[in-house]
Amino acid sequence: MDILQVENVSKSYSSHRALDNVSLSVPEGQVYGLLGPNGAGKTTLIRIINHITAPDSGRVLFDGHQLTEADVCHIGYLPEERGLYKKMKVGEQALFFARLKGLPKHEATRSLREWFERFDILDWWDKKVEELSKGMAQKIQFIITVLHRPKLLIFDEPFSGFDPINAELLKNEILRLKEEGATVIFSTHNMASVEEICDNITLINKSRNILSGNVDEIRREYFGNRYDLLYDGDDRILMEALQPVGNEFEVSAADQLQGRRRLTFHLKDGAELRDAIAIANDSVRLAGMSESIASMNDIFIRAVREDESRR
Amino acid sequence: MSKIGIVIEREYMERVKKKSFIITTLLMPLLMLLLMAMPALIMSYVDSSATTVAVIDNTRVILPELRSSEDLRFCPTVDATVDSALTREGIDAVLVIPENIIDNPRAGLKYYTNGPSSVGTEAGITDRINSIIEARRLKAYNIENLDEILSSVKSDVSLTTVRADKDSEESNSSMFSYGIGIAMTFTLYMFLLIYGQMVMTSIIEEKGNRVLEVVVSSVKPVQLMMGKIIGVALVAVTQMVIWGVLISVMSAFVLPALIPADAMADVAAVQSGNFDQVGDASSIEIIQAIGMLGNVGNIITLMALMTVFLVFGFLLYSSIFAAVGSAVDNIQDASQLTSLAVFPILFGLIFAMVAAADPMGSVAFWMSMFPLTSPMVMVARIPFGIPGWEIALSLVLLAAGFVAMVWLAGKIYRVGIFMYGKKPSVKELVRWIRYK
Repeated sequence: MDILQVENVSKSYSSHRALDNVSLSVPEGQVYGLLGPNGAGKTTLIRIINHITAPDSGRVLFDGHQLTEADVCHIGYLPEERGLYKKMKVGEQALFFARLKGLPKHEATRSLREWFERFDILDWWDKKVEELSKGMAQKIQFIITVLHRPKLLIFDEPFSGFDPINAELLKNEILRLKEEGATVIFSTHNMASVEEICDNITLINKSRNILSGNVDEIRREYFGNRYDLLYDGDDRILMEALQPVGNEFEVSAADQLQGRRRLTFHLKDGAELRDAIAIANDSVRLAGMSESIASMNDIFIRAVREDESRR
Repeated sequence: MSKIGIVIEREYMERVKKKSFIITTLLMPLLMLLLMAMPALIMSYVDSSATTVAVIDNTRVILPELRSSEDLRFCPTVDATVDSALTREGIDAVLVIPENIIDNPRAGLKYYTNGPSSVGTEAGITDRINSIIEARRLKAYNIENLDEILSSVKSDVSLTTVRADKDSEESNSSMFSYGIGIAMTFTLYMFLLIYGQMVMTSIIEEKGNRVLEVVVSSVKPVQLMMGKIIGVALVAVTQMVIWGVLISVMSAFVLPALIPADAMADVAAVQSGNFDQVGDASSIEIIQAIGMLGNVGNIITLMALMTVFLVFGFLLYSSIFAAVGSAVDNIQDASQLTSLAVFPILFGLIFAMVAAADPMGSVAFWMSMFPLTSPMVMVARIPFGIPGWEIALSLVLLAAGFVAMVWLAGKIYRVGIFMYGKKPSVKELVRWIRYK
């Protein structure tokens, strides 16, 4: 079941096209990565999902029906550029935002206390926001985003402004919310965290969806037929020996201590993997072999470059 | 509670709870009262002790006719010289009247004093001696029944305007209407400018610290704008109502206590149309002014009408301020675009001056109908008692004006709040209106 379906959405501003026929589906209960270079149209898409702006064409389905104003109380959004009312007290402010999301006052107060206890910040309740540090304000902001128990959470660069300890805390909270059944859309430039927590991704470049799918599958299949060899021996001899079956060689030091090397190569079409293993076994002392898993970072860069060259 | 209600509540409470709001709201009327009462208070302190003047009268006929008053006492002196008279206990000054003063007034009086003398005292002395000399000269013509003739020719005319088109015979001072009209215009002008800019700066602040990005994920941008405008309008009305109540209370209780009983009797006399009962010292204009100030019902009507024009005018102007605030990133960039709102307010003020001087003229009429100038011009005209239909028509047009302006501003606002960087031109603002 998809909690969110974006179907052929386009949106133009006077001078440029922000979204061009973008479609994607977010399955319920997953963490969905929304990736793309700066200015690709991610924020516009997020605003459309949040019912802040309307698409020029196409439609957005939420929980199976056309997205309406009433659905925004089931969505929690933490924007990349975020702030709070500086002169307002922390508790009052959190209540204000909770009530805007449709939570009755007493209920909001109760669950706000729970969150403050969990983060051990109950004594911040009567502080003004301007008295808090940036990291503290970010925590409040996170609580405000999730307080009304939204079905769909949208985090845009949630870790910026957090130290590693608090970033870890936040990551665990996000995963816990997922465990409890929430769906998370996660937009970031930090590819390591995408590998870590996203189930599916969509990569948007220059207003178009250029890559969608399951993270593990993409990483395995994106470059296709790539393998890692772990060995002791001479890189050049191995590469020359492998020429008949492989290309696109990349050598790196796999293990500094034991002096092992790693060669990543692409298996030529029609070549057999067992031939490659046999050749390698003859030329160097082979320690291991595995399917090469590309990093999201490499995939991001390559996908964007290829898309640019096609246009 | 609806979302817009929650926004209104926040905007209202944030401002009303501020110390600066509470202090200005409570202190302003007291300050105004103090300013009005200041001259009287100063007078009562300055002239608290009477000046005693020793008179060396070389004519020997003037001194017996010199009448002492509460604050100016004359006494004869046995001393021949000024210096010895001045050293005497209880003598503040010495007046020397030359022998030939009756025949030759230019001979001049000499007034010796230890400290500075006041204009009031000097005028009091010369006035008295002038009338004594005039009386003596008149007597020299030997006219029969002189006293009767003098008292019968004495005149003290007064003028009261009575509106022929009104049912009640209430008297109306146009000088006072003018004053009230101008005062109300300036109050409105200040409210529109201060509270309008409050809306603008608060939007710029929200945009600047990016809290807006968070809020609009729960509330439609236009709802947020309306919530802010209505919340701030309620703050303005609250202040206006508190001031109205305080001023009414002062008019009803404090003012009568401050004004001497005989003056209040005069006020009652004028209001009932019995001018001959009025004590001759009082000016009719001032009495009418006091009468109008003391008329609580009248004040409440004026304040209520002013509040209605304030609210309608504020909705119109603050939506311009809101649109400007949404379009810029910081207050410095706003100054140029603010003129879109400030110039019409200034024009309104200028035309209000014209209208107060000629409240029934055609300029006054048309400018009090045109929505951008009508709040201030109408408020300047209202104290003169203009027909009800004109007020009603002006309000209807103003309401149409603010509905249109709120709609336009909403269009600009919803685009402007997401625009960062370059300061937009008026042309760009117009283009934003046409966005889907």
